[in-house]
Amino acid sequence: MIRLILCLFLVCWSGLSLAEDNVVNVYGWSSDMSNEIIQAFEKETGIKVNHSGYSSNEELYAKLRAIGPGSYDVIEPSSYYVSRMIAQNMLEPIDVTKLKNYKNIDPEFLHPSYDPKGVHAIPYFWGVTGIFVNRKYYPDLKITRWTDLWQPQYKNQLFMLDDPRELFSIALITLGYSPNDSNREHIKQAYERLRLLSANIKLYNSSAVVSIVGDEDATLGIMWNGNFYSAAAYNKNLEFIFPEDGFVIWVDNFAIPKGAEHKENAYKFIDFLLKAETAKAMSLNNSEAITNTAGRKLLPPELRDSKVIYPSDEILKRGIYQEDINDAALADYANYWEKLKLQ
Amino acid sequence: MKKNSSNITRYTWLTAVYAFLYIPIFVVVFYSFNNTQFSLVWHGMTLNWYQDLWRDTNLWVALFHSLLLALCASTIAVVIGSFAAMNLYWYRFRGRHLLYGLVFILIVTPDIVLGISLLILFSLMHLDLGFWSLLLAHITFCIPFVVITVYSRLVDFDSHLFEAARDLGASEITIFRRIMLPLALPAIIVGLLLSFTLSLDDVVISYFVAGPGYEILPLKIFSMARLGVRPELNALCTVIFVITVLLVLLSHMTLRKKT
Amino acid sequence: MKYDSHFRYFSLTLIWAWLGIFALLAFLLVLGVSFLDHTQAHIVIPRLTFTNYQFLFQPMLLKIFGKSFSIAATVTFFCLIIGYPFAYFLSQLDRHYKSLLMLFLIIPFWTSSLVRSYAIMAILKTKGLLNLLLLTLGIIHQPMQLLFTNVAVIIGLVYNLLPFMVLPLYANFERLDRRLLEAAEDLGAGRFIKVYKILLPLTKPGIYAGVMMVFLPSMTLFYIPDLLGGARSLLLGNLIENQFLFANNWPVGSAVSVILTAVMGGMLFIYWRATQRHERQQVLL
Repeated sequence: MIRLILCLFLVCWSGLSLAEDNVVNVYGWSSDMSNEIIQAFEKETGIKVNHSGYSSNEELYAKLRAIGPGSYDVIEPSSYYVSRMIAQNMLEPIDVTKLKNYKNIDPEFLHPSYDPKGVHAIPYFWGVTGIFVNRKYYPDLKITRWTDLWQPQYKNQLFMLDDPRELFSIALITLGYSPNDSNREHIKQAYERLRLLSANIKLYNSSAVVSIVGDEDATLGIMWNGNFYSAAAYNKNLEFIFPEDGFVIWVDNFAIPKGAEHKENAYKFIDFLLKAETAKAMSLNNSEAITNTAGRKLLPPELRDSKVIYPSDEILKRGIYQEDINDAALADYANYWEKLKLQ
Repeated sequence: MKKNSSNITRYTWLTAVYAFLYIPIFVVVFYSFNNTQFSLVWHGMTLNWYQDLWRDTNLWVALFHSLLLALCASTIAVVIGSFAAMNLYWYRFRGRHLLYGLVFILIVTPDIVLGISLLILFSLMHLDLGFWSLLLAHITFCIPFVVITVYSRLVDFDSHLFEAARDLGASEITIFRRIMLPLALPAIIVGLLLSFTLSLDDVVISYFVAGPGYEILPLKIFSMARLGVRPELNALCTVIFVITVLLVLLSHMTLRKKT
Repeated sequence: MKYDSHFRYFSLTLIWAWLGIFALLAFLLVLGVSFLDHTQAHIVIPRLTFTNYQFLFQPMLLKIFGKSFSIAATVTFFCLIIGYPFAYFLSQLDRHYKSLLMLFLIIPFWTSSLVRSYAIMAILKTKGLLNLLLLTLGIIHQPMQLLFTNVAVIIGLVYNLLPFMVLPLYANFERLDRRLLEAAEDLGAGRFIKVYKILLPLTKPGIYAGVMMVFLPSMTLFYIPDLLGGARSLLLGNLIENQFLFANNWPVGSAVSVILTAVMGGMLFIYWRATQRHERQQVLL
């Protein structure tokens, strides 16, 4: 027994002593970054990539706050967490002159409202939240705006994302407020709106959206356009609607956290991600829209010209970037969210 | 006649429970050949997922890390947990109730709270996140399961047995090694199996105490499943399942030959 | 005798050191944080407050607690009903098959729980395998809505927690003296008497261990219930996660955890007081 334990420890030691210095510690979504991309970078630069994953922005943020600076070199936060992290001084300003491929990014996405001063985050993926309908079940349904979801005929039929921000955004938009509103009175009104909606909700989910919608376990509800594309790839009855009363645009960014130990390597890694070929490969992994104009040109036509993934400028005008709200508002969200689910 | 009917009940019950346990596993295996990315409905047969899996070396590294971690964590947890159970059973020391209380607290604390508090402890101790932090955390959440299992078996025995041994001059080490250990052995094995299983599949606590250089399988799987579980992961689980079954059967047969 | 004291000293130090640091210290940390305040810039600031507990002192918490409790109790009940006879029958098999079958009980759980939960979804879906089977056999004519119901939640949880009931029970049955049962049979005891008067009392510690290991963790599980149940209600685990991760309110999250520990500990203490003195040692844990 004791010998066995000793052997185990020896194995552990030998495994750990192989630590290298020339590394970059990347913390992001494993669904975006396939093995091929990481290997291509390692081959090109000789830098070892330690990629670890998380499954929500909230997890990323909680962990970074608990451990303090230094552990990770590249992270992948969404827009609303970028503004939060900038406010908490958690992100390193990025010197864009060090990024040869920065020019590949669509200028529309540069200097967004969630990163107003300087550059702290490199926009990469983006998408919108809209409405999906399965035409097999609702052949002649006319649905154009969020308010339509409140109709009593949809009792116990709607699919909702399991995310307080998404739900409150819808309610705030139908009330004519911004989805980034931190006004407590407006949030309370939004909660009253959502209470009326809850009778229509069949289920909440954020992690198995594609299979639930594609397999027709839910036939009407709200969805991200990238997920919609994956579901519609095998279910032809699905239709995506960009609501007329406005919708939220989210952007996933790459950023360098404060105190990163391998900053030079982090730049090299981000620059590699901005290459047209890499952007193309990343987009093919998860069917999300990329900000990389050069990369988009390389995509297969059905993805490149998809009106769901890349809506026209006219539609996009109705979109609003998702930004951070303050902690008092978040506490209200959390509180109302709990009440909503307990009804 | 009576014997027969009870035999039928017995085998029906056993078969039914094994069927309950294995039907989802067979579905996992079956769907690893499913020709679709995200759907959970059958779309035809393919072997592509196994090709993808074969190429995905990071997944294999993560699996190796997980296995190593689970082996180390369960072994150490079993040693500490068994010690604790035997001491709790045998000695009437001061603070015994506190020790019970701590075991209880460990099992009742929600994963996310335990994960965050261990993370803060580790950063106060300036421990780098990686294999060692994961190991410490895994041992910690496995210990209560071992203690409870082993203790529940020890209290079943007549404590006079141990007292008699002591009266006959056996030292306490001897009592522990020669009497308690063999008696508790089935429970110790059960504790080992449970710890191994817990450690291999833990997500929430591991999430907080994992570091950049040591990615383990459950975290990788959760992070890969942003859009849903791809059949590639089914293929991975199929491979793990087939290999464990083969190993178990093989070792069983060699052991049988020996005896 | 010198070795004795060394041994005792060593093992006790090891246990105390480990649990002292990773259980006591960690718990004190949580307890401490639950009485502190927080701001947007700092997770915790050193200002004493009771508002975290005041915040929780509302009927909502009672409702969430009740829901989690009833799910945990139902799951424990089914695990016991299924697992108790199972462990008994398993322990009565031939020695060679016994250990093999015990291993086969746990092998399914060495694959990822997430992947297994998706497989359960694939079975229970409207277009899933179970509905397909029943429709083909003509037992039903309309697909049933199984997924996103409480039934699915219970099935998923029982599936994942069953080994934690069966294995400790098995470890208890394993040493059961079969002659006791045979003697009872010879004396003409019926099956009911046999189970109720002999089997149950003898395996009480095993039942107790199994119930603890299924019930306590299932109070705060939320991933599987959300996935299979459609996340339409809120469990304790959701509440804690919501406070820690979404609202960034670690103090309130910690307070929920402290309350949970206190309530469960209190219930255990009442149970302990209610048992007779000579049985107390058996059920202390």
